[in-house]
Amino acid sequence: MTRWGMAIDLHRCVGCQTCTIACKQEHGLPPGTAWRFVADCEVGEYPDVRRLFLPLQCMHCADPPCVPVCPTGASRQREDGIVWIHYDACVGCGYCAMACPYQARHFVAHPAGYFEQPTPSEAAQARPGRHGVMTKCTFCKERVDDGLARGLRPGVDADATPMCAVACIAGAIVFGDLDDASSTVARLAADPRAQALLPECGTDPRVYYLGD
Amino acid sequence: MAASMRAPRLEVLPSRPQTLWGWPAVLNFVLGGLGSGWYIVAVLAAGLERSPGVTAASWAAPFLVLGGFATVAGEAGRPLRGPWVLRRLWTSWMSRELLIGIAFVLLIVAELVFPLRLHRAQALVAATLLALAQGFILRAARGIPAWNVPIMPGLFLSSALLSGAGAYLLVESVAGRPPAPGVVVPVLGLVVIGFLAWIWYLRGSREFAFVQSVAPLRQWRSALVSEAGGHGLPVLLGLVALAAPAAAAPVLALAGALLIAGQAHAKAGLVRAAGRLRPITLAISLPGRRAS
Repeated sequence: MTRWGMAIDLHRCVGCQTCTIACKQEHGLPPGTAWRFVADCEVGEYPDVRRLFLPLQCMHCADPPCVPVCPTGASRQREDGIVWIHYDACVGCGYCAMACPYQARHFVAHPAGYFEQPTPSEAAQARPGRHGVMTKCTFCKERVDDGLARGLRPGVDADATPMCAVACIAGAIVFGDLDDASSTVARLAADPRAQALLPECGTDPRVYYLGD
Repeated sequence: MAASMRAPRLEVLPSRPQTLWGWPAVLNFVLGGLGSGWYIVAVLAAGLERSPGVTAASWAAPFLVLGGFATVAGEAGRPLRGPWVLRRLWTSWMSRELLIGIAFVLLIVAELVFPLRLHRAQALVAATLLALAQGFILRAARGIPAWNVPIMPGLFLSSALLSGAGAYLLVESVAGRPPAPGVVVPVLGLVVIGFLAWIWYLRGSREFAFVQSVAPLRQWRSALVSEAGGHGLPVLLGLVALAAPAAAAPVLALAGALLIAGQAHAKAGLVRAAGRLRPITLAISLPGRRAS
């Protein structure tokens, strides 16, 4: 059984936002919408103040609170754990955004570009079906599925791996099958330093963060 | 979980107001509670029999409930897909709210056409479930600390009964049928219970994110409207009406209007002011400093 997940090494992340831009480019996201971004945080108190870069995105929870609340069934979870939205079924009510503890759902109200007229790139990536509905990180499921169909290994072969992990300049983002004990992501997720965000919410996230 | 609670928590992404549910959502909750609560109070006050009060509530409640649905549908990104909201009845309270609301309206229509006690009893159950369903919608929102609390469905039922009692007192008094003390006294009891439920809600959790979210509702201005204006003053006016029956009509009408306004203010505060997304906190230790 495959169970996709991600491990992010906070030691390695330098906050360059390359993953943010790679994601926006890959999915043609409009201005103001980022399915993932790196939070630049100042934490602690003088004299022990640190700067922390925390990449945030959909956690693809094992028990995703966004899925059962969806009144149309547009929010779905695949057998491999990827949580996604069937845009053609979404009514855009925003209930899933209220249920998500990770602020990971985004509403794209109207088509909008960075300039008065769409750039050639924006025109090529225009997706009218994504307006007026909820959107979120999909773990680049199209890349994963296409790669698998071509015999590639997600997390190992770049063409089958989510763009954020591929683009990360520091190798901080590792993607792969959590159920494959030999995979890097499974090894990192089993590391005692690996923790999930907001464990008290009981969502069992599939994105792990490695601190100290 | 215990370990994570013991670890120091760092707020890395602060709470921020939710922006997707605005005044249309508030109106849906206010009108749904008003319509269902009015019908419940009117039917109970008449002992499940038909009365002018029940007739008035029966005509008004469907418009209120459907008006709320229509308003909130306009807030959705794809309102024409509205009927699809009925697709997930077994998991989503939003689906259940719509189904129960439709059933409530149909049962009232049936009761108007065939005035049977059975239809009134069924509509009474549907009205109660509608008020609860609206509370469960917020209860299931794990991303909003101020909503994701167990008391929310009970709070919504209490709010529906209070605003419904307000509508009943107002309309009956204006129509020259001021409710008898046998109705006024239980209504005053409801107001006291509603007040206690509201205070319990505001003070019931010490979780930081919850306290931070409901802080605007605990400020004196909000308390003045919701607690003093929406609970205290109506009780006082109700006691005046009991002591001076000759002045009951205008006094109870005013009490009713205050009850409606107080509950509308409370729901607006819940959705707009307290509707803040959960802050992202870390229970893990930070990466250590390394020599460069």
